[in-house]
Amino acid sequence: MEISINNQKFSVDVDSDMPLLWMLRDHLGLTGTKYGCGIGICGSCVVLMDGHAVRSCKTTVSMAAGKSIMTIEGLSSDNSHLLQQAWEELQVPQCGYCQSGQILTAFNLLQTMSHDLEDGVFPTDDQIDVAMSGVLCRCGTYPRIREAIKLASQKMNKKL
Amino acid sequence: MTYFSPSRRKFLKVSAGIAGSALVIGINWGCDSAREQEKVDEENTFSPNAWLKLDNEGGVTVIVAESEMGQGPYTLMPMMIAEELEVNWSQILVERAPSDPIYGYQLTGGSSSIRKGWGTLREAGAITRTLMVESAAQHFKVSSSECSAFEGKVFHEKSGREIGYKDLIQIASELPMPTEVSLKNIDDFKIIGQPLPRKDVPNKINGKARFGIDIKLPNMLYASIIHCPVFGGKVKRIDSEKAKKIKGVHDIFQINEGVAVVGKDTWTTFKASSLIDIEWDTGKHQNTTTESLIDDIKNTRLGKIEPIWEQGNLDQKQDKVDKLITANYLQPLQAHVPLEPMNCTAHFDSSGNLDVWVPTQSPSEAYKTAKRVSQSKLERGIKKAQKKYLGIHDDSIRIHTTLIGGGFGRRLNQDYVAEVVQIAERYDRPVQLVWTREEDVQHDFYHPMTYHSMTGGLNSEGLPILWDHLIAGYDARKKGAISNLYNITNSRVQLLQKPYKIPKGSWRSVDRHYNVFAVEHFFDELSLAGNHDPVELRLKMVSDSRLRNVLETAVNKSRWGLTDDSVSFGVALIHEWGTYVAQVLELHQIRDNQFNVKKVTCAIDCGIVINPDIVKQQMEGSIVFGLSAAIKSKISINKGRVEQSNYHDYPILRFDETPQIETIIIDSVEEPGGIGEPAVPPVAPALANAILQATGKPVRELPVKL
Repeated sequence: MEISINNQKFSVDVDSDMPLLWMLRDHLGLTGTKYGCGIGICGSCVVLMDGHAVRSCKTTVSMAAGKSIMTIEGLSSDNSHLLQQAWEELQVPQCGYCQSGQILTAFNLLQTMSHDLEDGVFPTDDQIDVAMSGVLCRCGTYPRIREAIKLASQKMNKKL
Repeated sequence: MTYFSPSRRKFLKVSAGIAGSALVIGINWGCDSAREQEKVDEENTFSPNAWLKLDNEGGVTVIVAESEMGQGPYTLMPMMIAEELEVNWSQILVERAPSDPIYGYQLTGGSSSIRKGWGTLREAGAITRTLMVESAAQHFKVSSSECSAFEGKVFHEKSGREIGYKDLIQIASELPMPTEVSLKNIDDFKIIGQPLPRKDVPNKINGKARFGIDIKLPNMLYASIIHCPVFGGKVKRIDSEKAKKIKGVHDIFQINEGVAVVGKDTWTTFKASSLIDIEWDTGKHQNTTTESLIDDIKNTRLGKIEPIWEQGNLDQKQDKVDKLITANYLQPLQAHVPLEPMNCTAHFDSSGNLDVWVPTQSPSEAYKTAKRVSQSKLERGIKKAQKKYLGIHDDSIRIHTTLIGGGFGRRLNQDYVAEVVQIAERYDRPVQLVWTREEDVQHDFYHPMTYHSMTGGLNSEGLPILWDHLIAGYDARKKGAISNLYNITNSRVQLLQKPYKIPKGSWRSVDRHYNVFAVEHFFDELSLAGNHDPVELRLKMVSDSRLRNVLETAVNKSRWGLTDDSVSFGVALIHEWGTYVAQVLELHQIRDNQFNVKKVTCAIDCGIVINPDIVKQQMEGSIVFGLSAAIKSKISINKGRVEQSNYHDYPILRFDETPQIETIIIDSVEEPGGIGEPAVPPVAPALANAILQATGKPVRELPVKL
């Protein structure tokens, strides 16, 4: 089947019930998306499917066929995305394993918010809580993730 | 000795865009065996010692012999060397050390990396700097006392000449190593003490960072494993008919630790695993339950009580004791559950050499395990003799340590190394073993369950003058109970070891975690019983000025003393790993029986600070880790099996449950202390003390439901 990952089309020959996560990692070598739990609860496997954050461990390849998938590798070619800049400025990652899922979930939040607002995105603590509480981090980078999301939104607003 | 880095010149071109931040580990390479990989272009690099490689293009590579699991050694170790070496931070590249004996015994744990490296690494940097200066002096034909090093160059002020280290490596490689070097004064530090950006961060925000589970090798097979759900059980019978029919399954067979499934990708092995029918001989632990474990450790008549420490008169009826208080604390089994599950990759090449890629905290232990499993006793004996009498290191086994997606002590155990070696032995292709999350939760090396029996005696002024602490547990230990912070006149600590039943391992902060809870919470119970303020009582009884300082700092920065009925505070102290930490936890009451942890104010004195931002990261991370165990999770046993299986029933602290955290780092010129674990133990007692303040009731069992 045909699948589009980071604006590139791939032809894959795997069982249609294979989770997208494992197709990305083992068949396309895109290891930025991680396995953490396999039951959709930790968020390490989050990718964007047609612009929406989904858990790739619970999304089969057949569900993803024909859709446009973005993984962490597709965010930018050079760490230049505003979220990556904020993550780097505030030195968010510790072990780093969950960070792909964290960043893409944050991306989803800011993207969703910016659809409705023309004069800027101002995520509140409550909104950030709701968006981010489904992505687990054992190293405890949560406080910095919160600040990085606010910083990224400020950077976004400056560009308007 | 880097087997999978491209030659240096190529590497530098690739890394030019993210200067100084690319890590070599785990990049795909295209040949069949790690050992066929072209070696680094050695004509153009110079290694003055095990930790440094300088090349003729200005690259300075620091080889780090500590594992990076988020706690920062890939940045901290190079900072210590770079300071003395006199190079610009941006010139520094980082590589993980191989399992070569020149690095000595490698194990990352016990919050020891900075203390281990503080002298050695600075010296290595200073020796190399001195060598560069001497090389330049020779090149300029002047005295070395007229030359000085700065930012990777040597200057001869008198003649206005300068030369870069990169142009000196030929001369340097022929000069004798300097034996007497001077280390910088702390006042002259330019790198140490600065919140420099971490070298590993750029690749951790773009998917490029390679953890053990991300290793991809040509022609690699995948494997997974099923362990007996009951501890100590064995395989009786395997029915793999259905599982073998799954497309892509190569083989299913038994190894020492359980049943292995080998297939063409991870999903295939996971899928096949779920279809295998295994009959287990569950053995003697099949009747173990949490309740039976608790009954056992509460029974102080079973087993030998070992005296650990004693001073003064322990007679509870003595004259001066006016009031006697007792308490018991039960602390549960805890799991590690790092986000990267257990995994290991191994390859036996055509000559029988073994390469292992593993996210391990100890490549030395991984090496020993791989050797024990892959070599016969006779072979091991021969190689041991060769090492002892001829100095020949058995290089047929090499351990490549990757980034680790969370360690917390779990990666000190090398069980997955033993497993993958048994599997890879059957193939000439590389094999990657990945455990499911369920296997990880149920086959951890757990933080032990402990039961603490406390007796305290107050004098007529309500001051503690008697302290008796009995620690009971499975392989329980004593640190954190004997810190003697309060120097109570008549005090004793005893240990009651219960026979090992549940696999036990080191869990971030280890014995200090459960012992500091008992000490700090019981201290507050005594404080309340004696009508004293817990902060004032601590200040009265603590003589160590650094401990008093962190306590006062944390208290002053917090809102301690705020008069608001719905807000309460708890304080806790620790002095371990050469570091002092005080935490004040602010607890808000939302309704009758519901509380919320609003903020933790944390003061730390860890001596000379290498990187203050990394200290803050470790404080934040430790507090989240400690709070998680205090309020969210425990491991329970039924019929000899762990009942939990994933993050839904062994939950860890979430984003929205995380309090504000404020860290104050004390300015100090004392010897550096550890930073990875000290902030874990104070959290639970600080919380319990806040609950005591709010409700008047102590916390006798963890986790506590808020």
